[in-house]
Amino acid sequence: MGNLSADVIVQGILLGGLYATAALGLSLVFGVMKLINLAHGQFLVLGAYLTSLLVSAIGGDPFLSAIPVAILMAAIAYPMQRYIFSPVMSSGEEAPITATFGIGIAIQTLLLIFFSSNPRSIDAPYATSQLDIFGVHVRLTLLIATLIGVATVLVLTFVIKKTQFGRQVQAASFDPAAAGLVGINVKHTYASVMAISAASASIGGVLIALSFAIAPPEGTNWLLRAFTVIVIGGLGSLSGTLYGGFIVGLVETVGAEFIGPQYRDLVVFGVLVLILVIKPNGLFAKRVRK
Amino acid sequence: MKKFKKAVATVIDSQTVYPAGLAVVLAIAAIVAQGGMTRGNKNQLTELFIMMSISVAWNLIGGFGGQFSLGHSIFVGIGGYATAILLTYFGWPLLATMAIAALISAALGVLIAFPLLRLRGPYLAVGSLGMTLAVYGWMINWDFTKASSSYQIPIEFSLSVDELYQYVVIFVLIAILASLFMVRSPMGLRMIALREDEAGAASLGVHRVRSLLPFWAVSGLITGMAGAFYALQQGTLTVDAAFNLKFSLDAAITSVIGGLGTVAGPIIGSIVVYYVRDFAADLANWALVIEAVIVVLVVRFFPRGIMGFLYKLRTMIEAWAHSED
Repeated sequence: MGNLSADVIVQGILLGGLYATAALGLSLVFGVMKLINLAHGQFLVLGAYLTSLLVSAIGGDPFLSAIPVAILMAAIAYPMQRYIFSPVMSSGEEAPITATFGIGIAIQTLLLIFFSSNPRSIDAPYATSQLDIFGVHVRLTLLIATLIGVATVLVLTFVIKKTQFGRQVQAASFDPAAAGLVGINVKHTYASVMAISAASASIGGVLIALSFAIAPPEGTNWLLRAFTVIVIGGLGSLSGTLYGGFIVGLVETVGAEFIGPQYRDLVVFGVLVLILVIKPNGLFAKRVRK
Repeated sequence: MKKFKKAVATVIDSQTVYPAGLAVVLAIAAIVAQGGMTRGNKNQLTELFIMMSISVAWNLIGGFGGQFSLGHSIFVGIGGYATAILLTYFGWPLLATMAIAALISAALGVLIAFPLLRLRGPYLAVGSLGMTLAVYGWMINWDFTKASSSYQIPIEFSLSVDELYQYVVIFVLIAILASLFMVRSPMGLRMIALREDEAGAASLGVHRVRSLLPFWAVSGLITGMAGAFYALQQGTLTVDAAFNLKFSLDAAITSVIGGLGTVAGPIIGSIVVYYVRDFAADLANWALVIEAVIVVLVVRFFPRGIMGFLYKLRTMIEAWAHSED
């Protein structure tokens, strides 16, 4: 049976950094707009696919190629929020959820049509290399993923907390009507938040494709993993997303070690349901707002 | 007794009797018309009616109750598997087996409603989605469900295309009538009050969980029964097919397209979605893209669905008819 070695723990933590990056955009969108973006999983997959196309077309480092892709994703997501999701947000919760779901299915099916359902991974010279740190085996890509994840969380937190734009986002989130009255362009702010979310999702997708492989039908699975992360971290809290990522990574790796790797999904989603039921606002939620 | 009389009086009025009569007439027409149908027609309509019954059941809590469940595929899977397993091990009469399978689903509906009803709005959607994927992750690895292969409905129990069609027509009629009478009853009014203003309803003594549990039970019952019919139509069950998230999503999509929280919404929605799919079937995967685009367009321009559009049209015509020349 399982064996709780340092390898397993380190691997879990590093996996958690990857999960946090994948969940960040989802958390941001929910935190600001109370919108559940069911297309987030497909954003991850799309970002990974576009990057892998770019890498195989012109070569170069996947992380450098991820930058134009992130910009492109932001450009796709901005009008989506502004002209599809935002206008229906006033008519209840069901309409926007269904709209994001429709977009997700469209992206997923287009990817299936153009690239088949085969898993795709991004190759980098360092994709499979391992480091030995004090006798613990560490996959280099996972280490990079974690570092990027932490960096992205820090940057986003800084942007939201300290910049002019971030204050506009907070105001638009807290009271859209009042924010509009004092001259904040709420529609533009919301759309920008979705754009940032999609950009960070594409980075998350690249990290996933570097560490594992990614296929169009897996969008929903990644969406739910991302959800588990933000539910544990407290819905809408950016720093919580980071903790949530580490916890999910640890639970999943340790669970897989003890119960069996085929039960990974059951462990993670079981934990999701359990936490939702016991603490609906998340383990690290500070304030309760509906 | 007095309370019961009052409830009956609330339910039996023109708001329910005419639609109920229409549903009965249509169901009779569907059975009479089967003489002129090919096997293919009947198979298609059976598929459509199974989908419709799940949508009606989903709309009961997803539309009228405002609880956007993504967990209904669990009921389909449990209903289907319970039927297959009970038939294999006990060999009781088919209808009795299906009734037991549906009751198991109803019990499950109550069981999962307890934790889920602690959640509201988007949290409930996420919680039920997680539950669906967790149950799937369990079933796909469980030897009992023969996850690696498939489960056969014993051949001596399978129904002919004709019989299955008739059963399904009667079943979808019962589902529609149940939904109609339940939402118009005092119980249904309490649920709608909770959806519109939970604090207000609670201040008038409406207990949230107690009021909603019967709806989860009935919704689970209908969906489980639909799962049993699905199993009979397919003949073989796989975990992948029976516990597929698709069932929850289809129910939500058809209800949203038809009009959430209206009795006719899921009925119209499933007919539209089914025939759009059928029409676009030759386009293979592009069909799904088209469907997704239609969903987005309907939600964007008619957030209240087809029924919402019809109501709007009626108001406009009424305003025109009453206007002074």
